[in-house]
Amino acid sequence: MSFQPTIVSFLCNWCSYTGADLAGTSRMKYASNIRIIRVMCSGRIEPTFVLKAFREGADGVLICGCHPGDCHYHEGNYKCLRRFHLLQKYIKQMGMDEDRLQLKWISASEGKQFAELANSFTEEIRNLGPCKVKEVMETLT
Amino acid sequence: MEETRIGLYVCWCGTNIAKMVDVENVAKEMESMPNVVVSKDYKYMCSDPGQDLIIKDIKEHNLNRVVVSACSPRIHEITFRKALENAGLNPYMFEMANIREHDSWVHTDREEATRKAKTLIAGALNRVRWHESLEKRTVDMNPATLIIGGGIAGISAALEIADSGKKVYLIEKSDKLGGHLLNVDLTYPYMYSAQEMIKPKIDRIENNPDIDVFLNTQIEDLTGYVGNFQTKISKDGAEKELKFGSIIVATGLKAFKPDTIKGYDYTNFPNVITSVEFEAMLKSGKILTKEGKEPKNIFIIHCVGSRNHDYHEYCSRTCCMTALKYSNQIRSALPDSHIYHAYADMRAFGKGCEELYTKTSRKDVIFLMYDQKNDLPKIKKASVKDKCEMLIELNEKLSGESVEVAADMVILMVAMESQDNAKTLGQTVGVSLCGNEFYIEKHPKLDPVATTTDGVYVVGSCQSPKDIPDSVSQARAAAARILAKINYGTVEVEVTTAVVNEELCCGCQTCVSVCPYTAISYDDEKNVSVVNEVLCKGCGTCGSACPTGAIKCRHYTDQQILSQIEGLLSKSLELQEV
Repeated sequence: MSFQPTIVSFLCNWCSYTGADLAGTSRMKYASNIRIIRVMCSGRIEPTFVLKAFREGADGVLICGCHPGDCHYHEGNYKCLRRFHLLQKYIKQMGMDEDRLQLKWISASEGKQFAELANSFTEEIRNLGPCKVKEVMETLT
Repeated sequence: MEETRIGLYVCWCGTNIAKMVDVENVAKEMESMPNVVVSKDYKYMCSDPGQDLIIKDIKEHNLNRVVVSACSPRIHEITFRKALENAGLNPYMFEMANIREHDSWVHTDREEATRKAKTLIAGALNRVRWHESLEKRTVDMNPATLIIGGGIAGISAALEIADSGKKVYLIEKSDKLGGHLLNVDLTYPYMYSAQEMIKPKIDRIENNPDIDVFLNTQIEDLTGYVGNFQTKISKDGAEKELKFGSIIVATGLKAFKPDTIKGYDYTNFPNVITSVEFEAMLKSGKILTKEGKEPKNIFIIHCVGSRNHDYHEYCSRTCCMTALKYSNQIRSALPDSHIYHAYADMRAFGKGCEELYTKTSRKDVIFLMYDQKNDLPKIKKASVKDKCEMLIELNEKLSGESVEVAADMVILMVAMESQDNAKTLGQTVGVSLCGNEFYIEKHPKLDPVATTTDGVYVVGSCQSPKDIPDSVSQARAAAARILAKINYGTVEVEVTTAVVNEELCCGCQTCVSVCPYTAISYDDEKNVSVVNEVLCKGCGTCGSACPTGAIKCRHYTDQQILSQIEGLLSKSLELQEV
């Protein structure tokens, strides 16, 4: 019996979502644990979204944006990067493994990289085991 | 409040989705989700009957929300939004679940893929509940066009637009118009003179009052959006501001430098030359070695820098036919010479090209096939007794034999590469590069000249290696797209902008500092931030920075995304342990 983690992934529309689409059009295969949410820019991703995903039972959250310098909105990905580092610290203080949240750059042409990332991230989260946040929150309420 | 009535449509996409996702089961099970009034599966939702199905249901069942679960929204979101519009519903009352690119095409277990489809749809259903009607906004279209690059593509586009009486600003980084064609002698397959083609076009550009040419000029900064771009350029020492509604990027290509290929030793052999150098030789009318003698043995190597992992994996598309053109020109100029080709595959795909190949092979030209991926020919210095300058060693693929050929001149058919400044210029105008450093078009098949930045088009070899007719076709296609927009007079601008709730805004101005478009200003009297909706492009960065939740990012609101997360993670749809 192997643990099947649930993963929520926020992808920016212009690079990463397109990269994930390319993985599809190229028929690359990857683990089905990942569920994608499209936002226009990684800069739109609020800490609340990430925390909400953990709260609702995600075992891992993967954020992808355009490579530095390639952001469709010039620098939204840099803003995401700053928030990401703080957020990683924050979830660590909450008692979670900070690696449950990751930020990677995927360009529109990196379908292969996206498929590989989906697999490696799934594997990493599988090794970390289930995230207990939802359970704990439920006992509190 | 009006009751939420959702129509859900699950697409088969022929077998593309249906093969891996049990679409009938999905449509049946999701029917019980809250607010779902109708749930159907259909072979091709994007087809006319598929869209008609939605329109009919909207009217019949009084639907006020629609979810289509099919391909990527990047492909058909617009199609279905239009269908909603046709049914009298606001196009933004729509959401798509991507169960093809993100599901059926990437997974191998039908049960898992079906379950995942349900979670994605649950997310979409949850999200669409919070969708709001958004009104389209239009701005006037500036009828001028900026064209970057004065080669055959840029020139063709400029003439097409200016011939209809619209203004063109044509920017060229070098000191003359014409691009690479200025250095070309004859063109394949019909042996037309390149100069006779390009010169009259340059004359027409120079005499057209609607075209302003700026030589020795590059753009460094660009602001605005479709319909209303602007940039500053310096001309004759003075700075000039240009305003225009559309941009065509036609910056072309550069030739691959063969120095790095060890076996060819390009830097050491004076008579190993590139196709660019040989073309110049043809144009000057004399085929001579560096010593000033007529070469007796001429050896042409194909795919130099193309179709090889170490250099470029792509095919440069024009070199095979150019090499055949060389054979014909050499045969006319030097009837007694020996001509050899080391080729990988003869790619003669264009009109008149296979015929050129047939014609050339009857002219006593020897074709030797080599393995361009693993086994390149080697150029060696010949000894005195060989009575030639160089010897080419090659493992001939068809015969399986190793051959040695004498050569006095070697022509390397060098690859086409993107320009050195492709990345920086791409960042300036908002166009990304593909893995091969060429500009990415909006859609490789259905939208080959537009880009993901509205109003910016890519044509010619800056998009991928291209021959003259393809470059001209693309240039004119982009011109036609732009003229259509100019003719319409207005363009639609982003409606998914940010908006400030003045009652919640505490006046901290965090949003002002994070906005990349200076679209947010501070109202000193009211002590609140104000979004300029024409400048806002809807990235949402301000929304996530706002500490009081006063900024709403239309169509990507907190409520919509949080609900989508809830839907995606509904307990009943979790993956089972296996």
